[in-house]
Amino acid sequence: MANKLGFYFNATACTGCKACQVACKDKSDLPVGVNWRRVAEYTGGEWVTNPDGTVEQNVFAYYTSIACNHCTNPICVEVCPTQAMHQREDGIVMVDESICIGCRYCEWACPYGAPQFNEEVGVMTKCNFCYDYLDEGQSPACVAACPSRALFFGDIDELRAEHGELAEIAPLPPADITEPNLVIEPHHNAKPIGSPSGKLINPEEV
Amino acid sequence: MQANEWSLIIFTTVMQMAVGSFVILGGVHFFATRRYDAQAADTLSDRALLAIGPIVILAMLVTFLHLGNPLNAPRAISNLGSSWLSREVTLAAIFTIGGAVFAFMQWRKISTATIRNTIGLVVAAIGLLLVWSMAQVYLLPTVPAWNSPATVVTFFITTLLLGSLAVGSAFVLTYQYLRGRNNLPSSDTQFDILSTTLRWIVLISLVLLGVQFVVIPLYLANLAEQGSEAAMASISLILDQGGALFALRLILLFVGAGIFSIFMYRSLSSESRTRMTGYLAYSAFAFVLISEILGRFLFYESMIRIGM
Amino acid sequence: MVAKEFLNDVITSTIMTRRSFVKWSAIFGGGAVVASNLAELPGQQGIGSVLAQEDESVVWSSCVVNCGSRCPLRLHVKDGVVVRVETDNLGDDEFGNHQIRACVRGRSVRQRMYNPDRLKYPMKRVGPRGSGEFEQITWEEAFDLIADKLKELIDTYGNESIYLNYGTGTLGAVVAKSWPPSATPIARLMNCYGGYLNHYGDYSAAQIESGLPYTFGNTWADTWVSNNSIEDIVNSKLMVYFGNNPGETRMSGGGMIYSLQHYKKISGAKMIVIDPRYTDTAVTAADEWVPIRPGTDAALINALAYVMITEDLHDKDFLDNYCVGFDKAHMPEGYEDEDSYSDYILGTGADGTAKTPEWASTITGIPAPKIVQLAREIALTKPCFITQGWGPQRQANGEQTSRAIPMLSILTGNIGIHGGGTGARESTFSISMVGFPTLSNPVSTSISVFNWPDAIDHGPEMTALKDGVIGKDKLDVPIKFIWNYAGNALINQHADVNYTREILGDESKCEMIVSVEVHMTPSAKWSDILLPDTMNFEKMDIAVNGDASNMGYHIFCEPAAEPMFETMHVYDMCAELAKRLDVEDEFTEGRTVEDWLRYCIDETRKSNPDWPDFESFREMGIYKVTNPGDPYVAYKGFREDPEANPLLTPSGKLEIFSSRLHEIGQTWELEEGDVITGLPIYAETWEGVSDPLRETYPLQMISAHYKQRTHSTYGNVPWMKEVAPQEVWINPIDAEARGIENGDRVYVYNGRGRTHVPARVTPRIIPGVIHLSEGAWYEPDEDGVDQAGCANVLTRYRPSPLAKGDPMHTILVEVEKA
Repeated sequence: MANKLGFYFNATACTGCKACQVACKDKSDLPVGVNWRRVAEYTGGEWVTNPDGTVEQNVFAYYTSIACNHCTNPICVEVCPTQAMHQREDGIVMVDESICIGCRYCEWACPYGAPQFNEEVGVMTKCNFCYDYLDEGQSPACVAACPSRALFFGDIDELRAEHGELAEIAPLPPADITEPNLVIEPHHNAKPIGSPSGKLINPEEV
Repeated sequence: MQANEWSLIIFTTVMQMAVGSFVILGGVHFFATRRYDAQAADTLSDRALLAIGPIVILAMLVTFLHLGNPLNAPRAISNLGSSWLSREVTLAAIFTIGGAVFAFMQWRKISTATIRNTIGLVVAAIGLLLVWSMAQVYLLPTVPAWNSPATVVTFFITTLLLGSLAVGSAFVLTYQYLRGRNNLPSSDTQFDILSTTLRWIVLISLVLLGVQFVVIPLYLANLAEQGSEAAMASISLILDQGGALFALRLILLFVGAGIFSIFMYRSLSSESRTRMTGYLAYSAFAFVLISEILGRFLFYESMIRIGM
Repeated sequence: MVAKEFLNDVITSTIMTRRSFVKWSAIFGGGAVVASNLAELPGQQGIGSVLAQEDESVVWSSCVVNCGSRCPLRLHVKDGVVVRVETDNLGDDEFGNHQIRACVRGRSVRQRMYNPDRLKYPMKRVGPRGSGEFEQITWEEAFDLIADKLKELIDTYGNESIYLNYGTGTLGAVVAKSWPPSATPIARLMNCYGGYLNHYGDYSAAQIESGLPYTFGNTWADTWVSNNSIEDIVNSKLMVYFGNNPGETRMSGGGMIYSLQHYKKISGAKMIVIDPRYTDTAVTAADEWVPIRPGTDAALINALAYVMITEDLHDKDFLDNYCVGFDKAHMPEGYEDEDSYSDYILGTGADGTAKTPEWASTITGIPAPKIVQLAREIALTKPCFITQGWGPQRQANGEQTSRAIPMLSILTGNIGIHGGGTGARESTFSISMVGFPTLSNPVSTSISVFNWPDAIDHGPEMTALKDGVIGKDKLDVPIKFIWNYAGNALINQHADVNYTREILGDESKCEMIVSVEVHMTPSAKWSDILLPDTMNFEKMDIAVNGDASNMGYHIFCEPAAEPMFETMHVYDMCAELAKRLDVEDEFTEGRTVEDWLRYCIDETRKSNPDWPDFESFREMGIYKVTNPGDPYVAYKGFREDPEANPLLTPSGKLEIFSSRLHEIGQTWELEEGDVITGLPIYAETWEGVSDPLRETYPLQMISAHYKQRTHSTYGNVPWMKEVAPQEVWINPIDAEARGIENGDRVYVYNGRGRTHVPARVTPRIIPGVIHLSEGAWYEPDEDGVDQAGCANVLTRYRPSPLAKGDPMHTILVEVEKA
């Protein structure tokens, strides 16, 4: 297949502001509770109180903005019973909302939380890479929104050539499950996947 | 817990019970036919067989509650190539239709017994495949609490345990009903079938109980060994938040499939104690049914996906 | 869909006038009515610019709220409804002419526009004040009620009884802006009718605005002490940020945080953040976080100075030649007997306490070895950019702190050089435009922005020496009438909500409160008359003085849709009132809003011929100018030649010891415990880190800015509440001691109030301190317990010593599991 698309996320620049998330919601009129792009906060570290009352710490935190990674091996497509979830030639994973039965099985399967159930319409919805914008030669809404320029998109091979291959840091899942088309510039605080040193501290927001 | 998970609890538990009942009934019928005659074998089992129908249809209907868009439900069988969910739905549909055809033929004695038995065998095999595919649906690499051989084993235990005890209850109930109406062709034979069946059911229950009590600790130990955040969170959901329910499930299972079964076995020494046998059979079934529903509830509750 | 949902709510909950009914039926019936007056985009399509759908038009607008930025919003309009929001997506985004990308809040603006809280028609209060019970009235009735009351009160009490309360809900436009109140159409109206009681300062930065000029002298905008431009950090080797958090307070536009990230990458300078919280700025830009207890920055500075002086790391040449007050040899004339800064630091002064690292460590919570290391690093790494945000100064001792932090820049001689700075807030390049003329106020009396409740309650008892009244020795009359234009400081954003309720609840004191608002805010509920304003997307204006580090810009805002319901432009409201007060000609000078915009552009072009004319500007939508010169260096001229370019202080030098402040400290009547001193000292305060009250309320609480809102603006937007839910931050140590887990609902309380809010248990805050972001919309239950996490039910109404400003971050509380 030609020109697989992917996202490049520079965690060193992300302030966790979620402009990407809301630009996406605004573009696609998503209700509260449906977030095609989400921002995880991974935080950890310990505090020690000294005998004199002073304190010391090794606290760290960083953000990870994740939409759909339009994976090479999309588990959502694999498990979908209706084929509503499908992958285009260019790698974009889409859900055909007119076919979807809203069983939410893909939601269980996807380790990135990309498929999002929309209660109002009873079917799964998800990031479609703003294919309509792409057709016009424009950037996806999230990419165009990022005030810190932490988010980019492009041909995944080119992104990997330029920024490396890293696609897994805590709290993301191992990349070998779905082979996400994602490249991450890790934050200096970044912890490897499965690290016990921090945790996803805003689970209700992702 | 959302309504759609309740519907899944009911669907999977009831469907497995139906498959188990069908299989156990087939077994009983097979042995009874060889030992007595076809008519004697049919007396108790035909009525029990007909009871499975409404249960299965209920289970199928309940699944619709789980769908955001039930109108598209028929499309759920369009991805047999890669989706276990698609396979599950397809097999459930075939089992339901096949079971209905078989039951109808058996009821009306359409065609020969050999053909009916062959169809019954095929439907039973489809039922067991259905349980297998049900388990496969949950073997997601992204959900540690589910992605375990224990899921397969437990689903089959549910199938056979609930199937056995359901058939046992159905047999006692039918027996008492027919005897009450003096409608039994040959009381001795029927009691013989009843008591033999129940003894086997008790033995099956005790074996399954034993297996379950081995599988559960192995499963939890294995989950703990994985140590991932999701795995630990699942364990916590089962043992901490769900601790009381988990304990209740184990107690109900032990009392139902163990203690009540043993007493039931002992009550079978005399036909005069069938009333007691009945109470014990119903109680064992009820306890185990509740236990299995609790177990299934905890199964869904423990769902923690890796990643974000 | 979302917009329509909101509209549905709005419509079903209102009695529609025929006019609006026609309009809405056109929208929902898919009718052919197309909003008029929509400017078609000129041919500016670059990378990222999304083509409008066939039946959509795109207009430039801006988010005009009080965050420090003015973000361009490109509104996609379909059938008169804004259906999508883009931001600046033109050009190649090359830094220096980069896209000014709106922050997360601006991206949610449709839920602010089409919000069920929109005020739809004029209303007057019918229940007790604060009950929220209103009934609809006509505009005629509303204008008559207001004009009659104004006349009556001015006849009885004079114009000093009329007050324009602080309000920043719409800020940064030319005509339709609520801040500063003295620059609003309401000020112009009142100035035409005898004037009103002024105020000075603001809720953002009162203490630094009043305190720091005593060290530096005034430079621009009267009281503002500047720092080097953010673009100058390319020349820095070290950056030290005190309570300065652009990642959450200046997250927008071409914005400060983006500039910081950009220039820091170029310079490679190390950045240290000193803050009670591990802020998003620290996450994204800092190399080191030094957690500190609130209100103790000056103690840290003292110890840093102690290490520098005792280890001989300070810049003695600079201190000798550019400063007064460092040592005995350089005290201002006539103050030789007072303690010098070295005396104070080394313990040879009146208090006899050496400000050692050990002394400071128990106050600040920072271990002494860390303080020693910090002092050496700051003194030896030059040039060093030191800056403070406005959190450290929003304290009971904020004036002291605001002057203490720049002592680091002074001691190290970093003032007036590239890569250095003053220790004040960072500067940016901007281009200015002539503002809407509001004439001059015949009343010269002024009170602090913060102590208006005193002026309502006992105005005539307020004096210059006790209460900071300016322009007169004392107030003669109390405040009897409040104009509250786009302001939520009436109840929500002012300290001690429950006390304010008492003052406002007495309807005999302040006799009329008029709010000009777009939403039913908590403050609107405490008004007597509600005048529904149009929102900025419904009117033409110019968003001015946006700045994005090395680039200034202005946005021509087109109306994207017709005004909803019976809303009216604030200028037109004032013009109607002017008629009734017989000052219409003076007020309007025959001009409409558009006329005034043309007037302001014409006036601007007189001094800046490069400025585009009205029509060209309108075509452009956004006008950007990149700094053509070097990065700005504050006090560069002074550094180069202090004789030729003296500071505007009495000595012409940097006044480490301010004789003026010393005199004020001797003459003003201060509350017990308050001090005003010539030197910037660490002052212990009420409800500070060492207040014995901590036995009852052991936790210090700060209420920093939050991503969800700009102060309280956007506080009713569902998308924003989802993005950043209102939570109280608490350290795991403090949470565990109280049995609180992440996500639990808790009560935060003290002797003044109680609020109910979920807890975010996070190591990102220093133990002993909690953080409840300011601005959540006050929502009392029947027992008066706030259910929304409104920080000001807990804050204290006690003006700071010098500025008489708001000390919102100085309070003690306790937290319990709900």
